[in-house]
Amino acid sequence: MTAAPILVFENVVKRYGALTALAGVSLTLHRGEVVCLIGPSGSGKSTLLRCANALDPLDQGRISFDGHEVRSSETSVRLVRQRMGMVFQNFELFPHLTVLRNVTIGPTTVLKLGQAEADARARKLLAKVGLADKETSHPSALSGGQQQRVAIARALAMEPALMLFDEPTSALDPETIGEVLSVMKTLADEGMTMLVVTHEMDFARRVANRVAVFDKGRVIEEGTPQEIFTAPKVPRTRDFLSHLGWHGESK
Amino acid sequence: MDINLTPILTSWPFLLKALGMTIFVSVMSTALGFVIGTLVGALRTYGGRMTNVVLGFYVDSMRAIPLLVILVWTFFAFPLLIGASINAVTAGIAGLGLHLGAYVSETIRAGLTSVRRNQMQAGLALGMSRFQAIRTIILPQAIIRMLPALGSLFVIAIKDSAIASVIAVPELLRQTQIVAGKTFRPFELYTAAMLAYFILCYPVARGVDRLYRRLSHLGSS
Repeated sequence: MTAAPILVFENVVKRYGALTALAGVSLTLHRGEVVCLIGPSGSGKSTLLRCANALDPLDQGRISFDGHEVRSSETSVRLVRQRMGMVFQNFELFPHLTVLRNVTIGPTTVLKLGQAEADARARKLLAKVGLADKETSHPSALSGGQQQRVAIARALAMEPALMLFDEPTSALDPETIGEVLSVMKTLADEGMTMLVVTHEMDFARRVANRVAVFDKGRVIEEGTPQEIFTAPKVPRTRDFLSHLGWHGESK
Repeated sequence: MDINLTPILTSWPFLLKALGMTIFVSVMSTALGFVIGTLVGALRTYGGRMTNVVLGFYVDSMRAIPLLVILVWTFFAFPLLIGASINAVTAGIAGLGLHLGAYVSETIRAGLTSVRRNQMQAGLALGMSRFQAIRTIILPQAIIRMLPALGSLFVIAIKDSAIASVIAVPELLRQTQIVAGKTFRPFELYTAAMLAYFILCYPVARGVDRLYRRLSHLGSS
């Protein structure tokens, strides 16, 4: 990978009381790259994402985004967050707003875009995620998969340089997982830089440029999907994959 | 007992004006109470410890002092403190509004706290300030959720405006007392006043309930 680094984690440590969620994680994400974070629940994957845009403050280490350190001072953090889209496991759409307003509220409130311009941008994105006909609906009228696609459009409306996905399909019914993954695949194909926490091994294998395996707050193995899924070096990775019913077959 | 409606028929313009004053005082004190209550509720939820202590003292004082005493104090004692007189309507609206604000703030506080923490995070993740997230995301949901309780407070504010009769605000109860005293027909006049309050408050209570049933789904994240 010759592209420039965009997001760099250096020896990141995060504790919640006595619990160490991240025990010194270093990871570099390059522009245009898709990196999937896999590993057992509670291994620190989601925490790393939440540290990346400073929703959780670090205890030690350093995170830099596009050459600037992500610090917890209000204004600098807000600028970083504007350029980092985040998609949550439970969608977190705003229930009191229509689908269109969910997508425009970031641009109008934060970027001070005019309503007409924001509407035009939002409609383009809703068409892109296949929900052009739902703009007047409220989130409660949508399926989980549709809600998550709106949430992706909401994040994209800020025209981010990087997208963070925190288990975007874990709260979905199996039949709606595919529609969300296909939107994410399209984004990746268009060159969006993405950091994805996922349990969808098939997605990680097909879409990721690199995969990082987490266990107990550390990255225990990192490599191409080919390396991780067909010939994992670390026994713990093999255990984890076989628990998911993945036996290292290549295709 | 014989019923004589003549006093009502002859003094209805006077009583109608009094009803207008009741509505005016209710709406103004509700507006004041809701503005104070929203600010205090939000500041206590998201502000620092000192803010919480100071504003908590305001809320507890208002809940510990009878409304009647607050109104009497505002109209008869407060002017001596500042060395200037204030008119009864202003004193009434201020006293009722300050009192109501304490109850509104507790309701708003409960509503804000009930909105899932991740809703705030979703706002922050878009690059919003906490203030922007509270204003555009958390508060609207809190208000929708608390609509039944806030509606009750509005109805209580209309009813409590009658207490302002003791400081001579020319509202419905006060003016009814005057007509009843002059005409010696307390039964007819007070019955009419009672019906007027019912006709005023009942649709408000029903209306808020219907509004809530239509909007409640918008408040559940």
